Amino acid sequence: MQQCRQRGSLRLAALLAAGIGLVAWLGQQADPAGRPLAAATAPEGELSLGAVISLTGNANLYGQDQRRGIDLARQWSRSQAPVRRLRLQLEDGGSDEPSAIAAFNLLINQGVLALIGPTLSQQAFAADPIAQRRGVPVVAPSNTARGIPQIGPFISRVSAQSAVIAPLSIQEALRRDPGLRRVAVIYAQDDAYSTAETLIFQQALAARGLMPVTVQRTQLADNDFQIPITAALQQQPQLVVISVQAVAGGNLIRQLRELGYRGQIVVGNGLNTPNIYPICQRWCDGILIAQAYSPELATPINRAFQRLYQRTTPGAPPSQITAQAFSAYQVLFEAVQRLQRRGGLDGLSLGQARAALMAELLSGRYDTPLGPVHFTPDGEVVQGRFYVAEVRMDPGGRSGRFALVRDSSLGGGATIR
Amino acid sequence: MIAAILQTLLNAAASGGVYALVALGYTLVFSVLGVINFALGALFSLGGYLTYLLMGGLISANGGLPGRGLPVALPFLPALLVAAGLTGLASLAVERLAFTPLRRRQAEPLLYLITSLGAGLVLVNLLQMLMGAEGYAFPSQALAGLPAALLIAGARIRSVQVLLLLVCAAAVIGLSLWLERSLQGRALQAVAEDATTARLLGIDSEAMLRLAFLLSGALAGLGGGLIGVSISLPGPYVGIGYGLKGLAVLVLGGLGSVPGAIAGGLLLGLAEALVPAEASGWRDALAFAILFLVLLLRPTGLLGRRTPDKV
Repeated sequence: MQQCRQRGSLRLAALLAAGIGLVAWLGQQADPAGRPLAAATAPEGELSLGAVISLTGNANLYGQDQRRGIDLARQWSRSQAPVRRLRLQLEDGGSDEPSAIAAFNLLINQGVLALIGPTLSQQAFAADPIAQRRGVPVVAPSNTARGIPQIGPFISRVSAQSAVIAPLSIQEALRRDPGLRRVAVIYAQDDAYSTAETLIFQQALAARGLMPVTVQRTQLADNDFQIPITAALQQQPQLVVISVQAVAGGNLIRQLRELGYRGQIVVGNGLNTPNIYPICQRWCDGILIAQAYSPELATPINRAFQRLYQRTTPGAPPSQITAQAFSAYQVLFEAVQRLQRRGGLDGLSLGQARAALMAELLSGRYDTPLGPVHFTPDGEVVQGRFYVAEVRMDPGGRSGRFALVRDSSLGGGATIR
Repeated sequence: MIAAILQTLLNAAASGGVYALVALGYTLVFSVLGVINFALGALFSLGGYLTYLLMGGLISANGGLPGRGLPVALPFLPALLVAAGLTGLASLAVERLAFTPLRRRQAEPLLYLITSLGAGLVLVNLLQMLMGAEGYAFPSQALAGLPAALLIAGARIRSVQVLLLLVCAAAVIGLSLWLERSLQGRALQAVAEDATTARLLGIDSEAMLRLAFLLSGALAGLGGGLIGVSISLPGPYVGIGYGLKGLAVLVLGGLGSVPGAIAGGLLLGLAEALVPAEASGWRDALAFAILFLVLLLRPTGLLGRRTPDKV
């Protein structure tokens, strides 16, 4: 009896081991990194890029802007006489970590050369380590939280981190009202971008001797802000500094104004999309926001970008997020073309091509709609010009624009009239 | 000090009113059928979107029918009422699809949970296909003529939330009066008490069941429209969170108890409002911890009755 039971256990253990071995082998077979690059390309010789952006969920407002930016970059790239054509595989990254992880895995297993995305920093902290482990270059178009490129050597971004640009809007608020002393801070505590950015805002305030009179924490899914707003207003703030995502931010500003707040509002990068206008409507008017893009930048590439944009959206300037998504595709496109011209992709496996592309990407200099950019060795973008914009809503309150009020590159921060 | 207390009470009432409305929707179905309709959160979303469309709102560029809308543009209150009625009809469809087949087979109550959850998910996904995933804001002139906010003894509340409170209160009082005083209301209560006896007394229990679903859906639709105008519609899943809170309120107040649903809603709202600013991000966790404590001390909920064992 005892022997019989032992034999049964042994059989079960052997079966389990065989099963685990089979799964591991299948997993290896699913990884296309070892295949020749030629086998991973489309029949027409096109190389595949993947893009994971938020087309659903609460970050979809950014995703819409990003999809447009990538589409425009593809149109632009076709006019650049490419020596190696690229095709794009777009996947919805949802607005949460599991969706971004699933989309990354899917595209990597399909053999993409590099990835653009994901939309949110919170998603990047979950999904980027997968690309890093699999050796797939990632260019983040909109992740601004501290520590994104430090996830690993394959991770880079064209979106300047909050630490560089966020303090500019605080400077502008203080320039407008040097006597302001009472600052309320509101941020989403369960979001990596918001928590990282609010720290930067609070450090910028502390550097000017300002301590927040109240810090109100919300959650990503919150849309009713009656409680934190009334608690903040009891402290009679002269400035409210907000770090939340777009839909919630639009609602927060609207409710803040409806509840009677008339002081200055500084918002973070999460509200850097014109898609907030229909949500906060006329209440958006006057909010200050630091930006990494100016539609007024007079360079050939920015003018080309603007022309393409105006064809689909006449009359409205593109947003920062659209420009950054354009730039993310552009830097990958240019790096691939340089590599191809040098014959640097010949005879490589997909894995080797991915590594070569990453090295090429980091070593290049790019003239993008954001201005001239290049990367530090660890993948952080280096960008020279930043701006502060004020939202000015049209009389109907359904649309508006980001009007530039400050350019950080003009003599260390000149005011634009 | 008085202003701070009043502010807390206003905040509590503003959120608690909607929770009570949703919990009442659950209560109506639970009291008659003894099961929970998990599709109620999705019906809440549907009510919000229907109100938006009935007010002349258009489908966004990422929706299934971009730029299209309904050929009507009603003022807010009529749109809200029509949307509530239509959501009630959608609730009847849920009853027909997700509950009737199981009831005929006298299935386990657990199965209703799965089918109603499935119906809710299908409904939310249909909404996403039609309307897109982006947020929709009601036009700022939806409540034209009302001041943006009211200042009451130093406490602030947005006018839209006062309206929300008034409509919730009217719905709750109206429903309670209807249940207590009308023939149909009492028939519904009789079916809730004992369906077999009610049937022997000549009450059409099937009709009462359908009525419960109709009213339950209408209440959810009313909640969705009110929340939509108050905080916009952040996406098709907006109702799911309110549905969960309503469910908590249903348990907190006592399963099947109408006064319990109202008291539970207000208590949950108060628990949220009492969370200090430093812990405001943990509001949901603290509110649910209070719920947990109440249930430890009173397992039948605030106003629930212990059901005697049947021999």
